[in-house]
Amino acid sequence: MEQNQKSSGKKIFRAVEPYIWIAPSIILMAIFILTPIVTVFQMSMSDVSRAGRIKGFNGVENFQSVINNPAFGLVLKNTLVWTIAVVVISTVLGFMLALVLNNQFRGRKIARAIVVFPWATTLVIQASVWNFIINTDYGTLNTLLLKLRVIDRAVNWTSTPEIYFAWEIACGIFVTIPFVTFCVLSGLQSIDTSFYEAATVDGANYWQKLFSITLPLVKSSLTVSTVLNIIYVFNSFPIIWTMTKGDPANHTDTLVTYLYKLAFYNGRQGEAAAVSVIGFLILLLCASVYMIYTLRKGDDN
Amino acid sequence: MNESAVKKPVSVKKAILRVLLYFVVLDVCVITLYPYFAMLCTALKSRAEIFAVEATVLPVHALWSNFIDIWSRAPMGRYFLNSVLIAGGSTLIAMLCGIPAAYALARMKFKGQTAFLGFVIVSQMFAPVVLLIGIYKVMMTMGLTDSIWGLIFINAAFNQAFTVWLLRGTFMGISAEMEQAATIDGCNRVQAMLRVLLPVAAPGIVTTLIFIFINAWNEYTVALCLISTDTYKPLTVGINVFNGYNIIEWQYLFAASIFAIIPVVILFMMIEKNLVSGLASGGVKG
Repeated sequence: MEQNQKSSGKKIFRAVEPYIWIAPSIILMAIFILTPIVTVFQMSMSDVSRAGRIKGFNGVENFQSVINNPAFGLVLKNTLVWTIAVVVISTVLGFMLALVLNNQFRGRKIARAIVVFPWATTLVIQASVWNFIINTDYGTLNTLLLKLRVIDRAVNWTSTPEIYFAWEIACGIFVTIPFVTFCVLSGLQSIDTSFYEAATVDGANYWQKLFSITLPLVKSSLTVSTVLNIIYVFNSFPIIWTMTKGDPANHTDTLVTYLYKLAFYNGRQGEAAAVSVIGFLILLLCASVYMIYTLRKGDDN
Repeated sequence: MNESAVKKPVSVKKAILRVLLYFVVLDVCVITLYPYFAMLCTALKSRAEIFAVEATVLPVHALWSNFIDIWSRAPMGRYFLNSVLIAGGSTLIAMLCGIPAAYALARMKFKGQTAFLGFVIVSQMFAPVVLLIGIYKVMMTMGLTDSIWGLIFINAAFNQAFTVWLLRGTFMGISAEMEQAATIDGCNRVQAMLRVLLPVAAPGIVTTLIFIFINAWNEYTVALCLISTDTYKPLTVGINVFNGYNIIEWQYLFAASIFAIIPVVILFMMIEKNLVSGLASGGVKG
């Protein structure tokens, strides 16, 4: 009898055990991620006071006033330009850099260590330096080019908001490349060299080998880095905040800097929450496109 | 005779490619290091030299005292300590919660496993900045705004996905046989994990640990939003005292920045190799 009880107790414990193991993780994420998510969704559909108190349900009113604001179209366009430009260009350049670094050469270890730098540096500092470098009056880019006699007069590198935004994109690319490079490198290193030897015997040239062996085999690494980068870049705040704060007049704002200003400068928290939700829906859309794409490919195979 | 005629063009081509390779690598290194070079040069200049009409590339008189001055001009020591506390605290909490969760995912079968993993992945889509309003409100109810504890919990939570993901990959790559043998020898699961699995998984654990530490050390947005008391600020936010609205003390800003960068760059170089293979393998297996 006692034996039976013991074993049934053991059975129950067996069933419950996994949940005890994952409980701390779940509690941590539930309090500090899930609750804010729920709060943001709730606020996006509520009338919120300047101090952040929810005064009642107001349906899609916040969304309407966000979308009807003429600045929103510009901000949305900026966000898409920012995300696509940074992700696409850094993926292409990062991939090429990985191919270069995958060669055997002297100083390879040092080169790899140097390439890590922008990844390890906090974005605020990186953006501050870029801001300093491109400054018209005392920036080191002008100084350097003047000394090298490439230019004979200080150039205004940030004459229009669009050009300033392009510099921010350049900074974004600069800090994103290392992640892509190292993801691809890890993929490259797992490729069996016998594939290449066989292809060489068959008379394949470099480009044929690149497109028929290398690319298909690093595709999964590239996919991981691209998916993660889309999320990170879309949500990236410090570069733009440090360099221009989205000014002048929303010309360099993306969704995240825009919502930060709405919430903490203008006290329009309901609208800021609506912008958050819109941003999330856009990312979700991208994710579903990716899922459908991979699922369909799975069917083909 | 014949042989050398065939061989020669190949080796010339090879030599050209070799030179080209070094040229590209050198270019990449110079461009990558340039911002750091500019930072160091500026950190060693006097204010007058930075704004001088006849601008210089290298500092005329290297003013090493800038690196000392910053500690008295701003509570740099306090910022540094805060960064250590925040990064260390978040790493500790993230690991304490993440290790058991990753262990359960790697070694047990249970209902809701996929749902849990799904939530972990979806949580990655919400960057803290998008949830800032919600985070602020939650922290307010808990009395954790303007507190180092608040930042520790937020960083731990938002790094949970990475922790669970990387560790799950590590644990799954290790055979469960040793632990099963230990269990037969009378160890319970906790003991088997602590004594058998964790020592073997140490490289993966250290990689994860350092990665979270770096993430939390570099975090800016949440700290900017939540912390208003100067003495609670981490370095990323604190160093901006030199980046004022009216006057920017570039030399101090960059001297302070160098102190903020060095520990992270060293840590990053230590884990760079393991981290990337961990990310990629986690992705492939999931």
